[in-house]
Amino acid sequence: MATATDEQVRGAELGLLERLPWRRIILVVLSIVILAVVVIGAYKTLTLPADQRYTTTTWKDFIILGLAQGAIIGLIALGYTLVYGILRMINFAHGEVFMFGAFGAYFFSHAWEESGFLDSNPVLSMALLLVVAMLVSMGVAILLERIAYRPLRNAPRLVPLITAIGASLFLANTARGFFGAQSRGFGVPAVLEGTWTILGVEVDRIQVVVLVTVIVAVTVLSLFVSKTTTGKSMRAVAADSEIASLMGIRVDRVIVITFAIGGLLAGIAAVLFSITFESVSFTMGFRPGIAAFTAAVLGGIGSISGAALGGVLLGLLQSIGPALILTGYGIPSSFQLKDAFTFLVLVLVLIFRPGGLLGSSEAEKV
Amino acid sequence: MKNRKYFTVLALLGALSLVAAACGDDGGGETGATGGTSATGGAVDCAADEFGCVEIAAGDPIQLASLLSITGDTAFLGTDSNHGIELAIDYLDNSFDATPGQLLGHDVELTQEDDGCSAEGGQAGATAIAANPDVVAVIGTSCSSAALGVADTILGDKGMILISPSNTNPGLTSEEAHQPFYLRTAHNDKIQGAIVADFVFNELKVDSAATINDESPYADGLAAAFRDNFEALGGTITDTEQVSSADTDLGPVFTNIAATDPGVVYGPNFNPVCALSYTQGSDILAKGTVQIGSDGCLESSFLDTVGAPVKDFDYFASSPDVTAFQGGAFYKDEYLPAYTDQFGEPTSVFNAHAFDASNILFDAIEATAVDDGSGNLTISRTALKDALFATSGYEGVTGTITCTPLGDCATDVTIGVFEYDHWPVEGGVDPTDPVFSETKTLADVI
Amino acid sequence: MGGVPTRSIVRAGLIGGAIAVFVALVGLYTKFADLALVGEQITLGRLLIIAPALVAAYAVTRPRIVAGERRSVPFGPGVVVGVMTGLVGGALFAAAVAFADWFGVDRIREVFVAVTEQLIAFLTFDKGVPGGLPELIGFCVVGGAIGGFARTAPEAVRRPASAGVLAVILFGLLQRIIPIVFVQLGFEADWLYDRGAGLTWFGGLIVFVVAAAANALWNRDGGRTRERVRRNVEQAPAAKVGLFVAILAILTIVPLLLGTVISEVLGSVMIYVLLGLGLNIVVGYAGLLDLGYVAFFAFGAYTTGLLTGAFLNTTTGAATPALSADLNFYVAVWIVALLAAGVGLLIGAPVLRLRGDYLAIVTLGLGEIVSVMTASKWAQPLIGGPQGMRGVTKAEVFGLNFQDNPQHFYYLALAFVLLAAFVSWRLSTSRIGRAWNAMREDEQVADAMGVSTTKFKLLAFALGGAIGSMGGALFAVSIGSLTPASFEITVSITALAVVIIGGLGSIPGVLVGALVLIGLPGLLREFEEYRPLIYGGALVAIMILRPQGLIPNVRRSRELEEEEVSQDVWARDAKGEAEAVAAVLPGGSLGVEREDLE
Repeated sequence: MATATDEQVRGAELGLLERLPWRRIILVVLSIVILAVVVIGAYKTLTLPADQRYTTTTWKDFIILGLAQGAIIGLIALGYTLVYGILRMINFAHGEVFMFGAFGAYFFSHAWEESGFLDSNPVLSMALLLVVAMLVSMGVAILLERIAYRPLRNAPRLVPLITAIGASLFLANTARGFFGAQSRGFGVPAVLEGTWTILGVEVDRIQVVVLVTVIVAVTVLSLFVSKTTTGKSMRAVAADSEIASLMGIRVDRVIVITFAIGGLLAGIAAVLFSITFESVSFTMGFRPGIAAFTAAVLGGIGSISGAALGGVLLGLLQSIGPALILTGYGIPSSFQLKDAFTFLVLVLVLIFRPGGLLGSSEAEKV
Repeated sequence: MKNRKYFTVLALLGALSLVAAACGDDGGGETGATGGTSATGGAVDCAADEFGCVEIAAGDPIQLASLLSITGDTAFLGTDSNHGIELAIDYLDNSFDATPGQLLGHDVELTQEDDGCSAEGGQAGATAIAANPDVVAVIGTSCSSAALGVADTILGDKGMILISPSNTNPGLTSEEAHQPFYLRTAHNDKIQGAIVADFVFNELKVDSAATINDESPYADGLAAAFRDNFEALGGTITDTEQVSSADTDLGPVFTNIAATDPGVVYGPNFNPVCALSYTQGSDILAKGTVQIGSDGCLESSFLDTVGAPVKDFDYFASSPDVTAFQGGAFYKDEYLPAYTDQFGEPTSVFNAHAFDASNILFDAIEATAVDDGSGNLTISRTALKDALFATSGYEGVTGTITCTPLGDCATDVTIGVFEYDHWPVEGGVDPTDPVFSETKTLADVI
Repeated sequence: MGGVPTRSIVRAGLIGGAIAVFVALVGLYTKFADLALVGEQITLGRLLIIAPALVAAYAVTRPRIVAGERRSVPFGPGVVVGVMTGLVGGALFAAAVAFADWFGVDRIREVFVAVTEQLIAFLTFDKGVPGGLPELIGFCVVGGAIGGFARTAPEAVRRPASAGVLAVILFGLLQRIIPIVFVQLGFEADWLYDRGAGLTWFGGLIVFVVAAAANALWNRDGGRTRERVRRNVEQAPAAKVGLFVAILAILTIVPLLLGTVISEVLGSVMIYVLLGLGLNIVVGYAGLLDLGYVAFFAFGAYTTGLLTGAFLNTTTGAATPALSADLNFYVAVWIVALLAAGVGLLIGAPVLRLRGDYLAIVTLGLGEIVSVMTASKWAQPLIGGPQGMRGVTKAEVFGLNFQDNPQHFYYLALAFVLLAAFVSWRLSTSRIGRAWNAMREDEQVADAMGVSTTKFKLLAFALGGAIGSMGGALFAVSIGSLTPASFEITVSITALAVVIIGGLGSIPGVLVGALVLIGLPGLLREFEEYRPLIYGGALVAIMILRPQGLIPNVRRSRELEEEEVSQDVWARDAKGEAEAVAAVLPGGSLGVEREDLE
């Protein structure tokens, strides 16, 4: 064929240019540059003149903020990772599942705040709020799967992805239509205001509650997935859904359960998020949603421990990153770049290690 | 062969571009309508007027338009301003009786457009209005981003007056950017920034402050004005922060601010950033740090979100001093009751500015419209503009109105700083006293 | 009944009722209760009352697969089924309204802000509960009947009737635009529209008759005319050219006829057509899902500003950007395109190995980074931060002012669109296009066959970037003032929606997509608040019902079709599977007729 000959000829002529491992070179250069920027920035921040430097207390604050925020993000990330493991699909609308749970809890919390029930029975009211949020989020997740994703089970990858984006837009604006465009204040039980001193470190009570709840939830989930039959079915379907169905596992049911569990976790995250930031609004699902799947990808999508780890790491990055790296360079208002920072991390992880930290370094996830 | 074809196309494009560049005109472009010819004319020479005249036949209404934020998150501003205009139309017969009055024997018809609080919204709305050559003048916009370089230019090119009741961004009336047909009865934020700086430095006796603004031009402009004036007084700005308007996690930002140990944090933002600044900031900032917001926060959702004031924390907000309006009996005894009767509680303080804007407009129309004897009016657009810019010493609800050549009509601006429980949300129906109030003019500020 | 199981009827009815409740809760009734479409009686609100029942009935009377055969529902029973569906739906709806009234509207409003006394009054036709409920149910029944009719009536009646109704609705919705157009053209519009309201009865009738007649003529003889035209267009080059010229002529004449407001909307449409064409190359031709297209758009806009002497808005007035040049627009725009192509290469290089979802996320991330940077204080000395820039050049030439005159701008945008369309078209039929096809269908095989995926992916990114930045440049010229609020993720999603809903890989599809997604909302500004809701719903609906888009590209639609399903689907016992499958076969759940593609 004439074309082949052309290619061969050209290939021989341009031998050197094409033979250099360009990709490898670019990646190496890139990683050196990034490493340099980070190290130099950190160094500069830590060696600022004494009056401009951050104190240990401030670093402690940053770190704990990051951990608490990261824990919540990790919970949401679990939803993404579970669905991806089973359907190989990123559920863009998971942030909205989270948001609806928060609204569900909000209405009860608001009513109880006014009646005083929230302050008089904090444990009971928090437990009930968690239940409400879990139920609402679960409901939305199941509806979502049934209406938007199930008909597209066999479609090429592009299609469900776009459907998810559309669903995300639709759900967020449905909440806007239902509940109004303004944000609402979420009440916190009085007993949770203030701080505790744990191991000599002063921590916000809410942060402690968040961390404890997340640790419990992740542990329960891990046990569920590894020990129970349903959990095993989930892992089987994630590994290979055709064979799983041949083995008698009802794949549809497993998928619904996966979505439900993801919704459940999102509901918990919703309550924790709302008491931390004391507000709910119809847009509250977007940023945490993106942060959460960044975390899931960061840790290794499809892996539960990866999602948890990714979440914590991301929280820390968001909180400490601008402070540690950008302050040194004197970049004005560096905290506004927090989101850009997150996305940069995402991009870099995907370039260098698409499988995530706990995953493989394969380029493709088929 | 193929390459040659592409090359020819490229060459052609290049040639075209060079021609276009060469023939390009860098001067000011063609402007708008030719308007009508004058009838029996009288003192109006429409042919000489670059922007022509508006002809209103007997029995036809005088057409006004409003370009305000009537949907979305800033709807509280726009609908409220529209009500102010409607009250002004009502008051044409010198009484608030919910029946519209007449101007020079003609009804006044108001078409309401949405400015979308964005440049595209402003463009779309302004284009829609500008397409109707019978519109005499426009009251708007609510958001500065809809006016800056967009609505003010589109309407100005057609010779249509644009008076804003709530644009406060200083750039709109700056030397370089002011459009000839633009005015505003709202204050210039340079004044608000200066007065708040005064409050912090001289009243609270605090010499270190930090600012935090969201991504709206309003917040950015006002925070910058505060910083400029505060430093001129001798204060130090310890930190300048910016957050995304949709951000919910303000923990790290406030931790950073707290680390620089300011005495005051000025956060002149819209909600929800404003409300979140208060709740999250008070968790993180050192006790005794004062937080100050601004009129962008003044909205019922703030109270909803924040709930009860946090112990040990002082929260203030700067805003046009409604009590100064209330000092005049007219506002307190007639205007405000009329507003509440007809529309319920006001959702912002700027409806009074819209009322004033409408009234100086009506006065200018009265001064420049020529009646040919049988009820047909002719209004020269340039003459109307000149009359408006010549407004001087007009006693409006919001204060004395004297328009400068650059379009700032609120010359003596009284800004008050209100304490959390006592600030004029919902328009200050109950007289609420500011803890500080000051009047300045543009000449006094940076 | 008519081959439709009762269970399905009940289910469809309940879903219809639920949709109606949803519409109420979202606030559409309260907002559009008074929007008159025809006369005073036919309002959009009332239309929205019958719509859910209509859709439910339309869905439930779809042809079903029974024992391997496709069976349609006959006309008479079809309408009856529709009526029953409407009845069930109406009952549910009425029950919800009654419940709201009993429970206390104010208490519900603390959660669902749209539930007000006015809403209840509207839904009970001002007769209150329970007096107005039978009427409400009656409306739903009518809706169901219409739905059943629309599905099962004989072709000859169905198509013209649908066309007529749709035309009436469209004319009704455009009540603020069409009278202006008529006046502009020198005609009276009083006979057609009530002043300040919807169509007159007479006007509505005329529109219906004309549209129905046109449709009937088009589909005459069982669609022979339509088929003949279609075949000619597809096969005869002369007919294709003729069609193209005709469309071009219409596009050129329209703004002159229709005035500034519509020209301004069309200008925005053209900008999104340009963006769509660029994204079409990346997503449609090369199969690289790019969710961050706003990056190129913003880059193009701000760079154009910087190169043409725009200045920054500051509190003290204006400031010169850190880097600034004062070039003529027609020189600057090519520099911008070149730079953007470079940026495209930079972005493309590291992400070459990624596929599908991962590429989507990375591009999303990059888009968001740019979005954040436009507002940042760090970049403020260069591009103005939150306060932005103003004074972008008006791109004047031969006395035509493109910033102040929407009609002139439209022609400038059209020129760029034609250029981009030409480039896209030539590319799609060239060797490069074939390489993209190969790469898209199976990358590994293409690689093995010697197609340098690296080169072609980079080319796609570069071209897409260049065209996207031209869109940004045009936007900057048209508006003159740049603020970060104009450069958010919405732009990426809208551009993607334009390409997808119009039809992936199809150039006419991009035009249609932009007209529908930008043109219609631009004209119907009352719906502005609900625009994202409608976009989201439309995306989901299109992906489920017709993933190849409105104007499909033949080759792409074959790729997007579901896997072939065995004929024995009816033999499987899981009902759910059968229905899910039936939904995507030709004539699927809402009976969308798939064009004969072979």
